[in-house]
Amino acid sequence: MAPKIEYYCPCLSESPHPPPPNRPSSSYSFHPLHNLFFCEECDAVRCNRCVSVEVSGYYCPNCLFEVPSASVRAEKNRCARNCFLCPNCRNTLTVVPSDPPEDVDSRMSPIVSTTLGEPPFFLYCNHCRWDSAEVGITFEKPTGLAAQLQKFEDSAPEALEFERLKEHFEPFLRASSSSSALPSASSHHVHTNPITAAASSALARDIPGVGKYNPLSRSRVGREKGAHRQEYPDYKSRVEVGTALSGEADVEFLRHLETVSQVAALEQRWTNSWVSPLSASDLKPLRIPLQSKKSKRCPSCRHILIKPEQKAQSVRFKIKLVAANYLPAIAVTLPHAQAAIEMLKRTSKTTSAAAQAEEQQAAGALIAGHSYSFHLAFTNPLYDPIQVRLAKAIAPAQTAEGDEAAERARRSTFQIQLPSAAFPVGAFAEAWEYDDEDEAMFLDDDGMEVVEARGKKGKDGRGKTRSVGIVEKRANVTIVSGEVLIPKEARGDVKFNMLVSYTYRSDDPEPSEEAQTGTPSRSHGANKGPEMKNFSFYTVVDLGSIMYREEPKLTADL
Amino acid sequence: MDLPIYYTRAEYIETDTGNKVSRRATISGPQNIILGGKTVIASGAIIRGDLRRTGPGHAVVISLGRYCLIGEGCVMRPPYKTYRGNFNYYPMKIGDHVHIGANSIVEAATIGNHVEIGKNCIIGKFTIIKDCARIADNTVIPPNTVVPALALFAGSPARFIEDLPESTPEMVEAQTKQYYTRFQPLPAER
Repeated sequence: MAPKIEYYCPCLSESPHPPPPNRPSSSYSFHPLHNLFFCEECDAVRCNRCVSVEVSGYYCPNCLFEVPSASVRAEKNRCARNCFLCPNCRNTLTVVPSDPPEDVDSRMSPIVSTTLGEPPFFLYCNHCRWDSAEVGITFEKPTGLAAQLQKFEDSAPEALEFERLKEHFEPFLRASSSSSALPSASSHHVHTNPITAAASSALARDIPGVGKYNPLSRSRVGREKGAHRQEYPDYKSRVEVGTALSGEADVEFLRHLETVSQVAALEQRWTNSWVSPLSASDLKPLRIPLQSKKSKRCPSCRHILIKPEQKAQSVRFKIKLVAANYLPAIAVTLPHAQAAIEMLKRTSKTTSAAAQAEEQQAAGALIAGHSYSFHLAFTNPLYDPIQVRLAKAIAPAQTAEGDEAAERARRSTFQIQLPSAAFPVGAFAEAWEYDDEDEAMFLDDDGMEVVEARGKKGKDGRGKTRSVGIVEKRANVTIVSGEVLIPKEARGDVKFNMLVSYTYRSDDPEPSEEAQTGTPSRSHGANKGPEMKNFSFYTVVDLGSIMYREEPKLTADL
Repeated sequence: MDLPIYYTRAEYIETDTGNKVSRRATISGPQNIILGGKTVIASGAIIRGDLRRTGPGHAVVISLGRYCLIGEGCVMRPPYKTYRGNFNYYPMKIGDHVHIGANSIVEAATIGNHVEIGKNCIIGKFTIIKDCARIADNTVIPPNTVVPALALFAGSPARFIEDLPESTPEMVEAQTKQYYTRFQPLPAER
């Protein structure tokens, strides 16, 4: 497994410090850099878990039609054109005409002169060969099929029942939403959405002993809800649900069962809005559910982080504040693994790809009782140079949950050395983008002054450096090297949290200082030159798991 | 940082626009194939430019954009169908920064920009893959499927798995450019 690095988003915990990386739960707090957003207002990293998402448009994933939000509801969130899912395999269905009178292969001959083919038309799955004629669905015209099917859907007893239920609860919903808007607007309105309230009070009424879902203090509002309860009448269901009417038939069906696949799988049944039949041969085609384009907002300041363009299939965004444009990208490599891989490539030319991958994995292993250097390549996305400082994050003192945990923690300790001094990363310039046009990438350091190595040793031979410090600096990339020392008895993954802080020149001057009218501050500002700002973020570096199998060949190579 | 991917100089032909085509790839009907430049066609790939639309005149069968990769053992074959009783092949258009993993079979009609297709995939006839989509390894996409933009598809038959991050175009672009720079001849023949 290649070493990797992920960035921390503090949204899941109260403290700004990340959880210890060896906990399984910590993986929820770390994300790859390109999945993160950056809020300029809050000056903070945001992730997909914490941003608030709004739907900015609906589209059908098959015909790519952008559905206006007004018709989304009427069409029940599904495509109302010609898009269907196969009930067996969820592939999209195609509309095919009936075979001309002769046989299937005669379609090759130019007898079929009409553009559309012969009616009746039916839906056909290219993957599992299901067709809608099996369930008796055929069409006279090959257009507007979904609208034809939706008629059946809407007249299905379940759909009608749902409509009636909605109608029945409508006045109560309106009443409760208007009443709850007044008292509970204070603090708890997040949880008392009218639908929850309606459902819970209905549940409390029907099943004695079930407490009403009530986030507010029980005494006062409980009585209030009690008043509501009396206001609306009982609902008389017109459809018998869950009766064992079909029991005999089901037994009969099961008795003649030949393969398991004759029974519709749970997955095939539970998204179906119609009666879900027991036998797979009765399944009906599904209209394709719509998908949405989403805009994303910062959870605290409500500023838009992502705003897609109107066009459904455009991959451009009107607003796109992604963390990759603000934070330096970090790539981790293990030079010893790379050297070994290269060695393998040179020696074994003929091995299969699978074997090669296996060898490469073995080559990149971290063996207990050795120390390895690792490289961190920082790529600066900003148009100004930055100064980066690294620190190993020390987890806040955790009270041990038991001796066993403490013991495990002790065993998995490994020593990490990071460059202690700050190091510069050059500014990003569009020109670097064109570097590779003339293969300049491999003429290292062209035109760049070689910055004096701040560590004890600079570069001495590729990948061989055992020191901690700058290895290479070119364009907007700086590679620094760190070292990990794995004790003999260490087990588990070499995974550690790293605090990265960097200073950059901010474009907008500090408002507090500018606001001061006195001259001293102005001159002070002028002396200081451009405003420097500091930003720090946590990352987790995963170098791979420790192997305790001794490999004499590899160690000899190193 | 990343290791170069070496090839032996004798194996690949480099064109003026930087395309690198393996001599061990089978290119049928090269006059009907357009390569955008800086595109790598690995050894063992088969590109069927000879399956052209019937009729007189010049016809582009397969067009590839810039910074594409056709992996080892891939088969690129234009889709065909019988329309109004006439059997015909239809052109295949592939955008920029498209990587196709090893041993995949592609019969798509259109593939957008920044698309990644994994290894051992089968992309059925007349499939339309929109920009920045990703197809996981070992996926089978049945014919006539549409893969929307920024979607990850996997499985057999392929299904929508998740939305890809908004920064996918930049990421894929950087990856494909880097791949091209890493792909270089072995400096000294042993």
